[in-house]
Amino acid sequence: MGYSSSLIQRKFKDIAGRRYDSILKDYREFMLADEEMFIPEIRSILVPLDLFVQDITDEALDVLSAYDATISLAYITDTEVIKLLEQALDSESTKEFQAKKEEYGQKLLKRIAAKLEERGFSTQTRMFVGHKGDDVVRMAKSHDMIALCRRYADGESTDVSVSPVVLRICQRVEIPALIY
Amino acid sequence: MEMMALIAVAVFLFTYALIIDERIHRSVAAMLGAAIVVFIGVVPWEALLRHVDFGTIFLLLGMMIIVNTARGSGLFEYIAIRTAKLAKGSPIRVLILFAIVTAIVSAFLDNVTTVLLLTPMLLYVARVMNLNPIPFLVTEIFASNIGGAATLIGDPPNIMIASSAGLTFNEFIIHLAPIMVIDMVILLLMMYAIYGRSMKVNAEERQEMVRTLNNLDERAAITDRSLFNKSVAVIALVVSLFFIHDRIGEILNFVLPFVDPAMGLEPAEVALIGAAILLFWSRQSPEEIFEKIEWPALFFFGGLFIIVGALVETGIISSIAAVMIENVGSTGEAMFIVTWFAAIASAIVDNIPLTAAMIPLIHDLGATMDVYPLWWALSLGACLGGNGTAIGASANVVVIGIAEREGIDITFVDFLKVGMLVLFVTVAVGFGMLWLKFAM
Repeated sequence: MGYSSSLIQRKFKDIAGRRYDSILKDYREFMLADEEMFIPEIRSILVPLDLFVQDITDEALDVLSAYDATISLAYITDTEVIKLLEQALDSESTKEFQAKKEEYGQKLLKRIAAKLEERGFSTQTRMFVGHKGDDVVRMAKSHDMIALCRRYADGESTDVSVSPVVLRICQRVEIPALIY
Repeated sequence: MEMMALIAVAVFLFTYALIIDERIHRSVAAMLGAAIVVFIGVVPWEALLRHVDFGTIFLLLGMMIIVNTARGSGLFEYIAIRTAKLAKGSPIRVLILFAIVTAIVSAFLDNVTTVLLLTPMLLYVARVMNLNPIPFLVTEIFASNIGGAATLIGDPPNIMIASSAGLTFNEFIIHLAPIMVIDMVILLLMMYAIYGRSMKVNAEERQEMVRTLNNLDERAAITDRSLFNKSVAVIALVVSLFFIHDRIGEILNFVLPFVDPAMGLEPAEVALIGAAILLFWSRQSPEEIFEKIEWPALFFFGGLFIIVGALVETGIISSIAAVMIENVGSTGEAMFIVTWFAAIASAIVDNIPLTAAMIPLIHDLGATMDVYPLWWALSLGACLGGNGTAIGASANVVVIGIAEREGIDITFVDFLKVGMLVLFVTVAVGFGMLWLKFAM
C-alpha cells in the first residue's frame, strides 16, 4: 500500500469512524449481493422423493415454472431400512415389503410426473435404494438446482420444522436449493 | 520574535503537519496542540473562551443531532433509492441526478454525512450498470463540495466564517448560491466531456438495470414512518428558520407582540432549537442519539480555535495582516490573494484548519479595508479548493476511502488531474462573479 493510499485510509478512519459500516449494514437490507445479482442458468432440477413426500406444493411449482428446466424425480428407499428388515424378517417378507415400497414409489412418481407435465414441465423419473442424504448430494452435482420437501427423510411429524437431512443436504450442495 | 510567538508558530506548524499526515487522530493532534499553548500560558483561560467559536461548535452539534435522529427513519436511503430509480437506466442521467441530489443535500446537511449515505447507492447502481464507478464517484465529490459552498450550513468553512463574521444565511444564498449553481452546470458539462464516452450502455443493459433497480423498494427503506415524517417536517422547519433567523423577531412580533422585533437568532440557536424539537417530538432515546454525535470532530474544531488563538494572542496574525495591508493596494487585489491562496492551500491542508487560520487574519485586515468581500473570497477559495486533491476536503477522503474498501482504486494523481482542473475552472468562475459584484 502506497503512502497516499494509507493516508486516505487513516483519514477515512478518523473522519467516517464506524458510521460507514453502520450505513452499509442498513443498505444491505435492500441491495442485492454480488452473487444474488447473477441469475444462474437452470436447465435441470432435482426433486428427491420418498415415503414422506406426498406431493409438490403449488407454490413450489410456481417457483420452478420460472425456469425452462427438466425436472428429475428420484424416489429413494433407504438402504439401512432394507438391511434392518433383512435382519429382522425372513427374505419373503422383505421382498414383499420391497415390492410394496416399489409399487408406492412408482405410483407417486407417476402421479407427480403427470402433475408436472400438466404444468408444462418435461420430466425424468428414477427409483433406487440408497442413502437419502449422500446420494442426493452426489446427484445434485449433475443438476442446476434442487427442490426439497421439508419433510423429506423425516417422518410423519406434522410440525413445520425442516428435516435434519434436508438441512444437511442444503449445507453440502453447491447449487441453489428450494425448500417447500 | 518573542519566545511565546515562536512556540505558538511551532505548535501551529507541528499540529497542522500532524493533521495533514493523520498518523495521530486529527482531534487528538488539535487537542494536543491546544494543550501545549494553554499549558505554557500562551492562551490564558479568559482568552481561550474568546477564541473557541461556540457558534460553530453548537451549530455543528445541533445539525448532527438532527441528522442522526433523521437517519434512523431511513430518510436518506429513501432519497438514494428514489434518485437511482429516476435515472431510468441511463448512466448520464445517473451521473447528473446523483450530482444534483448530492449538491442539494450537501447544501443543507454536512458533506461527510451526505456522501457517506449516497456513495453506497451510487456504487450499487454503477455495479448494476456494469460501468466504471470512478466518474460517478469523482462527480459526487465535486458536487458535494460545490453544493456545500452554497449555504451557511453546507460546509464547515462556511459555518466558521458565518459565525465569526456574523453573516446570515440569506447573505450566503445571495452571494454564493448563484455562483455554485453556475459552477454545478460547468462541472456537469466538464464531467460529460471527460467521461461521457465511457458511459454508453445498450438497450438490453439499460432494461436490465431498470429491472434491477425497480426491485428496490424505497418504501421498504423507511424503517419508521412516523420518524420519517417528523424528520422531514423538522428539517423543513429548520431550513425555513435559517432563511429568517436574522429577522425572526419581526415575524414573531406579528403574532406575539411582546417579542422584540429587533430579535434575531444565531444559526447555532436555530440548529439547537430544531434538534430539541425533533428529540422531543420523535421520542427517540437521547442517549442513543448523543452517542452518535461526532464528538471527535467537535473537539477537533475546539483545538484548532485555540491553536489559532495562540497565533492571535502572540501577534503573529496581526503581523501577517500588516504585511498584507502594506502590499495590497485594493479590495479586488485582496480578494484575488485570499481566494487563490485559500483555494490552493485548502487543497493541501484540508479546508477546515485553513479556514480557522484565515479568519483572524481577515478580521485584522478589517482595520484598513472593507473585509466584507473577503469573507466570500475566503468561503469560495476554501470550499472549492477542497476539490483540488484527494485530501482537500473531508468528502473527498470519505468517497475515495469507501471506493478503496470496495476495491476501486482512485489514485492520488488521477484525482489530482481532474480535481485541479475543476478547482481552477470553478474558482475562476466564482472569483469572476465576486469580482464583478464587489470590486468593479
